[in-house]
This record gives sequence, C-alpha cells and structure tokens, in this order.
Amino acid sequence: MRRVSRVAPAKSNRYIRIVKPRKSRALAFFALVLCALPAFAQLTAEQKQLNLASFEAVWSAIHDKHWEEKPAGLDWQVIHEEYRPQVEAATSTDAARAVMRDMLGRLHQTHFAIFPAAVYQVLDPSGAGDGWPAFEAHVLNGRVIVTESLNPETVKLGWEVLQTNGADLPPLVAKLQTDPAIHELQLERAVAARLSGPIDAVRPMTFADAANARITRDVKLIPPRGNFAGFGNLPPQPVFFQSKMLGNTGYIRFNMFLDLVRVMTEFGDAVQKCAHCDGIVIDLRGNPGGIGGMAMGMAGWLVSQQGQRLGTMYMRGATLNFAINPRTEAYGGPVAVLVDGSSASTSEIFAGGLKDLGRARIFGTRTAAAALPSVITRLPNGDGFQYAVANYISEGGQALEGNGVIPDVEVKLTREALLAGHDSVVDAALDWIRKQKESK
Amino acid sequence: MTRLERIALLAACAAALSAQDLPKAETILDRFVEVTGGKAAYQKHTHEKMTGTILVPEVGMTGNLIRYSAAPDKEYSSLQLGPLGKAESGFSGGIAWEKNAITGPRVKSGDEKAQAEREARFNAQVDWRKIFAKVETTGSDTVNGEDCYKVQVTPNLGKAETQFYSKKSGLLLKTATTAVSPMGEIPVEVEVSDYKNFDGVLVATRSKSKMGPQHLEITITDMSFDQPIAAEQFDLPAEIKALADKAAAK
Repeated sequence: MRRVSRVAPAKSNRYIRIVKPRKSRALAFFALVLCALPAFAQLTAEQKQLNLASFEAVWSAIHDKHWEEKPAGLDWQVIHEEYRPQVEAATSTDAARAVMRDMLGRLHQTHFAIFPAAVYQVLDPSGAGDGWPAFEAHVLNGRVIVTESLNPETVKLGWEVLQTNGADLPPLVAKLQTDPAIHELQLERAVAARLSGPIDAVRPMTFADAANARITRDVKLIPPRGNFAGFGNLPPQPVFFQSKMLGNTGYIRFNMFLDLVRVMTEFGDAVQKCAHCDGIVIDLRGNPGGIGGMAMGMAGWLVSQQGQRLGTMYMRGATLNFAINPRTEAYGGPVAVLVDGSSASTSEIFAGGLKDLGRARIFGTRTAAAALPSVITRLPNGDGFQYAVANYISEGGQALEGNGVIPDVEVKLTREALLAGHDSVVDAALDWIRKQKESK
Repeated sequence: MTRLERIALLAACAAALSAQDLPKAETILDRFVEVTGGKAAYQKHTHEKMTGTILVPEVGMTGNLIRYSAAPDKEYSSLQLGPLGKAESGFSGGIAWEKNAITGPRVKSGDEKAQAEREARFNAQVDWRKIFAKVETTGSDTVNGEDCYKVQVTPNLGKAETQFYSKKSGLLLKTATTAVSPMGEIPVEVEVSDYKNFDGVLVATRSKSKMGPQHLEITITDMSFDQPIAAEQFDLPAEIKALADKAAAK
C-alpha cells in the first residue's frame, strides 16, 4: 500500500510527488536495520533481492516513461544488460545505489536521482501534522528566519528560529545544505515540517531576536491557512489565496497552483479589481507549483495578444503548447513576479513564460529549476527515486529544467530588512512599478 | 526478368489481389448504419440527451458528463470533472465554443471549429456522404483480437481519421484521429464497446481514449431520444456571444 506525502508541486496532471510505501512494521524495521548496518556488512539474500527489484524499477521507469523512446539517445536495453550484473555483484546497498546512480548519470539530465533511505529520516520527520505556528520561516544565509508572522506580538519578523520542540535547527540546516542532492525546495520543506505538528499542540520554540538574544516562546500550532484541496490521487493540501493593495499596486499571493476553481476565480477577480492599478505584483516565492494548466489560465488575465504561449511540453507521444487564451478584461499594466529557490514547476512555467514574452519583470532569486513533471517514488530497498517524465521548453527556447528562471532583478530577502519591517523583494518590485508610472 | 524482379512482381500482384478483397469503404459505412438499427431508426429521432460518467485513471479523477444534441447541428456538452470544475462546450448557429475554469470563454476557429461542427451533426452516421469528401478502405487490422477493416475518412473540412470496423459484426470498434486545440495537434485513439439498444439504435456505451500519454474512459449511463429539451439549451452563453459579436465586428 502506498501513500503520497504532503510534498506536492507540479503540473496539469503534473505533480512532483513523493510516493512512498505505507510504513508497515516490516518495512520500518527493515529501514532501521539498513541504517544500523555498517557499510561493509554483507547483504542478506533478501536485501540483495530488494536491490535488484529497485534496479528493475529504476530501469523500467526510464524505459517506459522517459519522453524520448531512446532516452538521451541511449539504447536502454543495452544499458540494462550492462548494469544489472553490476547490481547483482554489489556487496552492499551503497554499492548497488552507486551502480544505479551511475546508470542514471548516463542520461546527463537533471531530476533523475536516488536518495538514500536515511535521507528521508532527516527530511521527513514523523509526528508532523497540519498545524503551523502562525509564522513562516525561510532559510536565509544558512539561518532559519521568520519572514511572515500573523502574531507579531509573539514572534517578530526577522527573528531567527534556533530550536523547536527541543530540536536544534542550525545543525539540521547545515547538514542538509552540505548534501548536493538536497534542493533548496526540499530544505525549506524539511524546515517547515520541523515547525509543524498537530493542530492545537503547543511547542516550545527558541528564537534569536534583533539583538541576537535568546527568547523562548510557547507557540500554539493553528490550523493551516486556506482550504484543503486535492487533485486526483493527491491528498488534500491546504491552499490559501491572498490579494491586497499596496498603495495603488495590487498584490497577489497563493501558496500552490491547486484548488483550481476557487484560485482561478479569485485570481481573475483580483486582476479585474485592479484594472486601474499602477501595477500588479504576483508573489510566487515558496510556491512549489501544482496544476500546470492554471499557469496558462492566469496568463490569460495578463496577456491581450492572441496566439501567445508560455512554452511547450514534450512527452512520450504528445507535444503540448502552453497556449494562452487572452481574456477580454486582461490587465495591460506593469506586472512583477516574485520568485525564489522554492518557486518550482508551475511557478517556473508561469514566471519563465511571462518573462520570455516580455510581459512581466521577475524579481527575487533563481527558481528551483524543477519545471518538469517529475515523480518521486520509494524503491523496494527503501531508497527514494526521482525521475522526470517530460521536457519543458519555455517560450524563449530555454529548458527550465535544470536552469530555472533567472530573475531580471536579483534581490535577496535579508534578515536586516525583515527586522526593519521590510520585504526587500517586494520593495524592489514596487520601486520598479513606481518608475514605470513616472516614466509615462 | 531476373529472379528478384519476378519476386517483386508476384508481391505486387498479391498486394493488388489483397486490395481487391477488401470491401469498399462505402459498403462498410453503410453496413454500420444497418447493423446499428438502420437508416429509418436513426431518422426517426430529431434530438437526444446523453448522460455518462468519466474517469481519468492516471490521476484518479472521476466526473459526470451530459450532452444534448439536436438536428441538424446543435450541440451542448457539460463536463463536471472533480477539482477541475465545470467545462462546457457547444456548437450552435455556426459558432463552436468552449468555456472552463482555466481558460475562460473561447470561440473556436479553423480545423478545431470544423471538428466541433462535424461532431455536432445529428445522425452523422447516416449522413456520412455529406460529411466526408473521401472514404477509402486501406487494409485490415485487429482491435482487441477482433479482425477489422480500416477505413480512412477525409472530411470536407478538418483532419482525416481512421476508423476500424469489425469484419464480423460490422460495428465500429476504434477510431484514430488527431484532436486539434490551441495546445496543439494531439493523436487520439478511441476504442468503443458495449453497444446497447436505445430506442431502436445501437450505441456504444463505453469508450477508452488515449490522448498522447493520457487516458480517458467514458461510460454512457443513459440516453433518451426526442424528450423535451429547454428551448434555450443551445443558446450561446453571454460571454461567448460577446466574443462572437466582437469577432464579427472586426
């Protein structure tokens, strides 16, 4: 039996999903045994069989689902004959994993990776729940910094989170940042998981305030913002949509491209209300993606010229244009899109396409470069396996996969600005919009 | 004549004989009308209502489908597919349109419009001579183990498609065509089955479509002919009418 974790970005039916076996006692026990085994220990017959089954799962996924029938120009059957004997001969799970990684390396493509089972214990702690601490925190310069707080009397912007529920965050961040296989997106989610828990639970959390003095607060975890919305096999996710005015500029933010009908309606309403705004800021920082089609639909509210598209997706047996249907009431003023390293998938398709069309100016930091409909599954031996099933080329001709969207204006969120009550990325976008108005 | 030339000639003769063995496409298409009820049974009806369910297996989504159509060429479909919401489409007064939560309202044109117009034509099976400029039997094949004739039909407007008719029953079992949309031209294969009699006409009540990497399954749960349909059922939605008026004014 499998379940899909709450990590879930990506597109149309396109999701970056972490699909993993439900933790049966046997598997959990086996994972513990694996972790306890020294690297040089001999594999049991059962472990060897699990590694072989893992190899076949990896090989078959590429064979059946890669967007090219000859993945990266390779004869994948020949690859099977070359690598299976090596897995059979492997004397440890580490060695078997190395063989599989070597095989994937032959593709010379990103988003094909195998994560050791032990990584999941760091990334995905047990005991997480839907409750959140009423503040958001992100990793800035290796430190977990509060970037938004619904209760500023209790937890202030710019504070550093040092400890939650007895666990120190700086060592966790340091450990994850040294692993090249861990993307910024995963790092952020690992931190968010540490800060979440059952609704109404009270967690002792220690912060460093503006003067770097240690402050401990009992933080009550509250229900997540927005509504829970699922999509097919994807379990319900909390989705929130926010729109407000910053002076005479519209500001729109939503955490995922999900809850399609509600979010599309609210997006359209927000744009229409802003018909006479100086500009619109669309904040996609931390947005991991969702339904790819929503990027096209939202672009239709911002593009008035017929025949435009955000990019093209290439899958096995089909090529799909991400075509834009301009709305009659499309907004024609300046549009700024804010992104960061946790803006992935549909966020990248949206931001990259609008940038390529010259319709939006992008502010922030480089995006996650995870624009493909990649899937993450757990292998029979407990390792994680990520693989992409399509290629996506943005309208400018550049693959977003592995490249991401590079902002027109690179602006980093800083702790100093947050402590002063400013969001430096929003400020930069507003400044640009102001200049656009002044230049008219 | 060399040995090689003799073999080539024999092969050519065999191919010619084989082609002569194939029935004419006109015969196959007319036979389909006969085995599904006959021309008179089709022409007895002037409008219909169909309801069904829809499944997208890859993403585990289900939904409901309702379709109204009326002679000569009016059509309205509404699809409610889980979190994607309601998607409507139609053809009326020479305008093909669609409206959904993602793209909003849209008027179709070109091949896409031709495709919608063809699909809206009531009793298209009977009137195929008015729809297709050319029909041709191109060979034999099997669909799920059943021997079929392959018929290529080329409409007056729009893309050609290949239809697969059972040699034994004369029923249509599969079509292979190219769906046209702003997202591009997507190869579509549709297998149909479970023919059931509705008021004298046999209708396939199950279809499995393969569109590129995606699959779609539709099951017709009910079909009724000539029951009253609201007069405004085929009216263009206000947003579509505005778009059509705007396009006409240009």
